Amino acid sequence: KEESGTKTLYLAHTLPQTHPVHKGILKFQESLDKKSNGTLKIKIFPDGQLGSEREVLELLQIGSVAITKVSAATMSNFVPEYHVLGIPYLFRDKEHQFDVLEGPIGKSILEKGSKFYLRGLCYYDAGSRSFYTSNKAIRTPDDLKGLKIRVMNNQMAINMVNAMGGSATPMAYGELYTAIQQGVVDGAENNPPSFVSSNHFEVSKYYTLDQHSAVPDVLLISTKYWEKLTDQEKIWVQEAAEESSEAEKKYWNDSVEESMKIATEAGVEIIIPEKSLFAEKSKSVLEEFEKENPDLSSLIEQIKKN
Amino acid sequence: MMNRLDTLFKNTCKVMEVLLILIFALLVLDVLWQVFSRYLLNRSFSWTEEFARFSLIWLAILGAAYLSAKREHLSMDFLYQKFSSAKKKKVLLLIEVCVFLFALIVMVIGGFNLVYTTLDLEQLSGTLRIPLGYVYSIFPFSGLLMMCFSIYHIAKINSNQITE
Amino acid sequence: MSIEVLSIIVLFVSFFILLMLKVPVAFSIGISTTISLLLNIDSLPGITTIAQRMITGIDSFALLAIPFFVLAGEIMKRGGIANRLINFAKSLVASLPGGLAYVNVLASMLFGAISGSAIAATSAIGSIMTDRMEEEGYPREFSASVNITSSTTGLLIPPSNILIVYALASGGTASVAALFIAGYLPGILLGLALMGYVAFVAIRRKFSKEQRAPLKEIWTYFRKAFFSLLLLFIVVGGIVAGVFTATEASVIAVLYAAILALIYGDIRVKDFPSVLLTSAKTTAVVMFLICTSMAMSWLFSFESVPELMSNFLLEQFSNKFVIFLVINIILLIVGTFMDITPAVLIFTPIFLPVVVALGMDPVHFGIVMVLNLCIGLCTPPVGTILFVGSGVAKISVSQVIKPLLPFLAIMVIVLLLVLYIPEISMFLPRLFDL
Ligand code: NA
Ligand code: NA
Repeated sequence: KEESGTKTLYLAHTLPQTHPVHKGILKFQESLDKKSNGTLKIKIFPDGQLGSEREVLELLQIGSVAITKVSAATMSNFVPEYHVLGIPYLFRDKEHQFDVLEGPIGKSILEKGSKFYLRGLCYYDAGSRSFYTSNKAIRTPDDLKGLKIRVMNNQMAINMVNAMGGSATPMAYGELYTAIQQGVVDGAENNPPSFVSSNHFEVSKYYTLDQHSAVPDVLLISTKYWEKLTDQEKIWVQEAAEESSEAEKKYWNDSVEESMKIATEAGVEIIIPEKSLFAEKSKSVLEEFEKENPDLSSLIEQIKKN
Repeated sequence: MMNRLDTLFKNTCKVMEVLLILIFALLVLDVLWQVFSRYLLNRSFSWTEEFARFSLIWLAILGAAYLSAKREHLSMDFLYQKFSSAKKKKVLLLIEVCVFLFALIVMVIGGFNLVYTTLDLEQLSGTLRIPLGYVYSIFPFSGLLMMCFSIYHIAKINSNQITE
Repeated sequence: MSIEVLSIIVLFVSFFILLMLKVPVAFSIGISTTISLLLNIDSLPGITTIAQRMITGIDSFALLAIPFFVLAGEIMKRGGIANRLINFAKSLVASLPGGLAYVNVLASMLFGAISGSAIAATSAIGSIMTDRMEEEGYPREFSASVNITSSTTGLLIPPSNILIVYALASGGTASVAALFIAGYLPGILLGLALMGYVAFVAIRRKFSKEQRAPLKEIWTYFRKAFFSLLLLFIVVGGIVAGVFTATEASVIAVLYAAILALIYGDIRVKDFPSVLLTSAKTTAVVMFLICTSMAMSWLFSFESVPELMSNFLLEQFSNKFVIFLVINIILLIVGTFMDITPAVLIFTPIFLPVVVALGMDPVHFGIVMVLNLCIGLCTPPVGTILFVGSGVAKISVSQVIKPLLPFLAIMVIVLLLVLYIPEISMFLPRLFDL
């Protein structure tokens, strides 16, 4: 199937081709092609063509797909340390976040996936998530009371919304647009590019930038493929990944700016709340998390001190 | 020998019938509960959806094995109807061999490897926190049943007790 | 020849041979997918991947609506609802020339609408109507043709399981609610078109007509059918108004049908296990088909078939109306050889990106695709409705083919109308802002 001397690695992810992270992945493909003189090629399957995040992770473990990009939240099913990255208001700001991720803490978390055949290569910026609502504006945490907010089906997201006073409603992402439109839920939470690309801004009047969590994306390679690479190839892959991560941060910022513009022009009211009120309310999430995962407290302390 | 096999086959089918009815009934109650808790109690339980999804997998895959036992999978007999009865017998045997091989290779070996991988990697489901391997285990298990049913049918075809 | 092309050829050839040898459709799909994938990747990852695709292919909350609509339909079937609908339809249209044929079409539309399954409509209505029509001088082949083609309207008129399957295959770009409401007009149009042809034949061949039913009689039959018909409004209205999702609506339908059947005395509590078992079997047939179809669909993605197909179509044909036509011709061919569920799951990912790029709404395409594949359900060599329909009419498939042809031509005309006049599908979804 392959020309002699070239290897093709299949990379699958679930994002549309207009997404900034996809652009980052294109950069990864390009850098790797250049570094390896065309001997290491990446074939990209975007748009969830090969399955959902969790399904493709399994395909990496099975060994039929080589590389994927998932949310760190999805990875926490394997490596509990990834859970920590989703704790609300853990990072002071983006700079703090990427200092941690690109430093020894972040790297050690990437390594930990190897035990599950999922070796982390780099992080991608996925911004921070905020609430959007169809009819009731959220200006303080009190406004969340009684609102049904769609969350991803994971415990931390559910706990967080409930702790802030809302009523967390896990629901498939694909059903969400109609659910908001028809009032099955009162709102949801996501980062600006997803808010716009999902068209949810069409059915939402308010976007409250409380920025409660900043879960990054992770680029992963199946160790079944990683171990087949030569030492030189491994270096190329790692370097290309890191370069793409740098480039992606810029793509992300551009996309946030553009998304906010689209949402504003569509008449969505952007609310900039007092973040500390939300942070205060969500403290119990951290406390509960530490109670359930005492072995991760030291990691949390390290991150806070970083 | 054949008599004992017949009894075993019948009893296996009975057990599967009871299981299928139970799973389906639970599935109905689970989703009804989800609807009522959402509208009447105004709260939702995240486990109801996951339980429903997993029950559907069990219902479908175990149901597929039951269909194999009863030879009631959807099939096209347009050409088959034109065959002579000697040829029909050969084709019937071939069908069972095909089912047997698919059940062995994909459902038992592939399915077992999938179960093994997910158990080995300690993958838990999102809200119920049960190992996904347990959910998937219905797949190789049903494959094994299908293989047994194929062998049973082959014996029946050979002794001309199945002719259509 | 590249390995991709080779493996796709192997896929189709092996699938076709297995299918013709009466290997169950789901297994034919699964086996040919396995052979083809193993030409590309190592064996253990290959077969494990297929196992994974089969399981995750049905790991969906939205698909739950299928067993529930099947169960609701099964409960209603036990309770003589077919008879009630036929009587109601008869009081309405039996006095027209060719009246009983209209009754068949209308009853199939109503029954197909309620049960969400064309096969159920074919067997339930056909088994009652063919004999009644024969008594009044309709040839059995003609009755069977009417019954077979009109049953497909139930796949368009909501609730419809195949539209749920399409919503899944579209990756959520078409919502079940929008598809459901979009299916009404095309389904009714198809029913009316078939009736139009029936009128033409009836007048020419002087089929009998019955006395006009007095209003009082219509009212009586309407009352008897009312609570069954009300279900349609609860279910579809509930979904469209956003009171509940399709899955929730389907389980409400089960509850409603069960309570109604118990009140009417159509069914007793001790009958429920057997109702559940029958429904479990029907569910498993569809679900196992979905399992292996999802594996084949994945293989196509893995082989970049959607990309190749889209490049091919966009390069070869410059006009989008021609591309729509070509896609429909391909689908008509696909439909003759493949059951509707796998066809939707496998070909939606291939064609949807192309038509969307050309400006077609995913909801519109879903209706076009289902209507198109309905035609294949009524043709040999692979046509489940054709087989069931000729089976209940107790005639052979070859007897029914000739009288069936004009009906199929009507379906093709309706298909072209629905394809090129998007408003037929999109008017209602836009009206309800879905
Ligand atoms: Na229907
Ligand atoms: Na056909």
